[in-house]
Amino acid sequence: MDRRSVHPMAWIVWATSAGFVAFLTTDPVYLFLLWAVAWFVYASHRVDADHARSFRLFLTGAVVAVALRTALVFFGTVNAANTTFSFLEGLRLGTILVIFGTFNAVTDPFGLVRMAPRHFHEPALAAALALSIAPRTVAGAGRVRDAQRMRGIRVRGARALPALAVPVLERGMEEAHTLAESMDARGHGAGRRSRYRPQPWTGTALLIAAGAVGAAATFLTASVGGWAVLHPQTSPIVWPEADPRLLAAIALLAIPSLLGRTEP
Amino acid sequence: MRSIAAGLRRPVAAALVTVAALVPVALPTVTGAAPACAVATGPHAALVIDTGAGTRSFCVALDASSVSGIHLIELAGAQDHLEYGFGSGGQAVCRLAGVGPQGDDCFADYPEYWGYWHGDGHGGWTWSASGAASARVGDDGLDAWVWGSGDSGATHRRPGPIGLDDVCVPVASPATSPSPARSTPGAAIPSSGTPSSSPDAAPSHPGTTRSVKPSNEGIVKTSPPARPPTAGALAAGPGPPPASSGPGPGLLIALVLGAALAGGGWLRAQSSHRRSAG
Repeated sequence: MDRRSVHPMAWIVWATSAGFVAFLTTDPVYLFLLWAVAWFVYASHRVDADHARSFRLFLTGAVVAVALRTALVFFGTVNAANTTFSFLEGLRLGTILVIFGTFNAVTDPFGLVRMAPRHFHEPALAAALALSIAPRTVAGAGRVRDAQRMRGIRVRGARALPALAVPVLERGMEEAHTLAESMDARGHGAGRRSRYRPQPWTGTALLIAAGAVGAAATFLTASVGGWAVLHPQTSPIVWPEADPRLLAAIALLAIPSLLGRTEP
Repeated sequence: MRSIAAGLRRPVAAALVTVAALVPVALPTVTGAAPACAVATGPHAALVIDTGAGTRSFCVALDASSVSGIHLIELAGAQDHLEYGFGSGGQAVCRLAGVGPQGDDCFADYPEYWGYWHGDGHGGWTWSASGAASARVGDDGLDAWVWGSGDSGATHRRPGPIGLDDVCVPVASPATSPSPARSTPGAAIPSSGTPSSSPDAAPSHPGTTRSVKPSNEGIVKTSPPARPPTAGALAAGPGPPPASSGPGPGLLIALVLGAALAGGGWLRAQSSHRRSAG
């Protein structure tokens, strides 16, 4: 088993395909399976403990999204059909969030910057910074809380916010400075850029990407061809269906977990 | 010792998931389910248009197992020459059967507008919580559009007590006369039914034909031949199983797959906890 880290592009393909699959369906069977797949992949390939915190944040966000979308039904007629419809729409949104959380936990955003073409380097850097703000802030908050706990400081409630926010913001500034200085030292912005130890496309990465594309293609043909129910009807409510071919397609998305584990 | 246990755990988890992934492939052959066949009657939904001056109803053959409310109107237009106009970039219903504003603003005649209702199939109606572009209508679904004022289901004029059977008339003859003709629903249609007048809609649904009903433009819908809800039936062709059926075998497979995935994730999380602790 290959324990080197997987090529970031394979993870981009995986996350895009899994998100696309979630986007195409409101069938709770497929959506809940995608949650299970995301959890399995996250548990197998998370980069380190800080990323675990950010995954939990995305998980919480997903649950909140489902609850909020379902609660929207109170603005209209409340009945079983409408509530189910809203819940399924929310579940789709939550699934996409969980998949994005997994993607965040298994990749290093700065590894992605390295793959950007030369002309798109700066936009890619901005995107990577933006993408990594949430996980880095969560990780920073976690470290500050740990430090406070070790010193016996226990602040609760509303007073905890400034005690937490100030060191976190300070730390964010410091990190940004360090990043800017280190990039300057490496000649970023001056047009010089060397590729230091480019990451190879391993067989694992190829299999991950191929499986994910296969899953997305299967759902796309089901959506265009109409050979399977992707949106179960909610009025009247019927049992959701589970087409064996689509279940197999979702299993393809679990390939990353079956191919071994990334050592944290 | 721990390394051996950790080494074993991954293949076990991998085997679990592989088995779960293979079950759906193997099950249809094991149970001997019938292969997918295209003789089943396609899915249908009913569309009721109440202009205030009169009510028209359409039995629409669906081109997918479920369609959006907008597409149901388009299908009714293609199959039964229902005149319609959409606004807001094709997301909203402005004009149906010659009633409603002409342009892109569907609320040009406000407070009068097209209210959107979902039927329970037996004469009951609920105000739609979502727009017609995102609402889904499946087999035996029932949609109604009512021209009138009122901003909610409490104040808007409701459709009449129209059930599914009033629009899509079930044909009784195949159920009463068990004959080989049952396997081909098209042959079970009595000869009084006239062929479809819109050739673009009919060929994909060989089991449908048009009845000569004086009151509304219904399509005679043959009841699909009785068959056990097997995995083959779930995978078969364009039509979903009858709405009244319980959970299919696909759900069982999905349950096994979900348990395998979640179990694998749990094992992985446990082992990485142990490694970081030790």
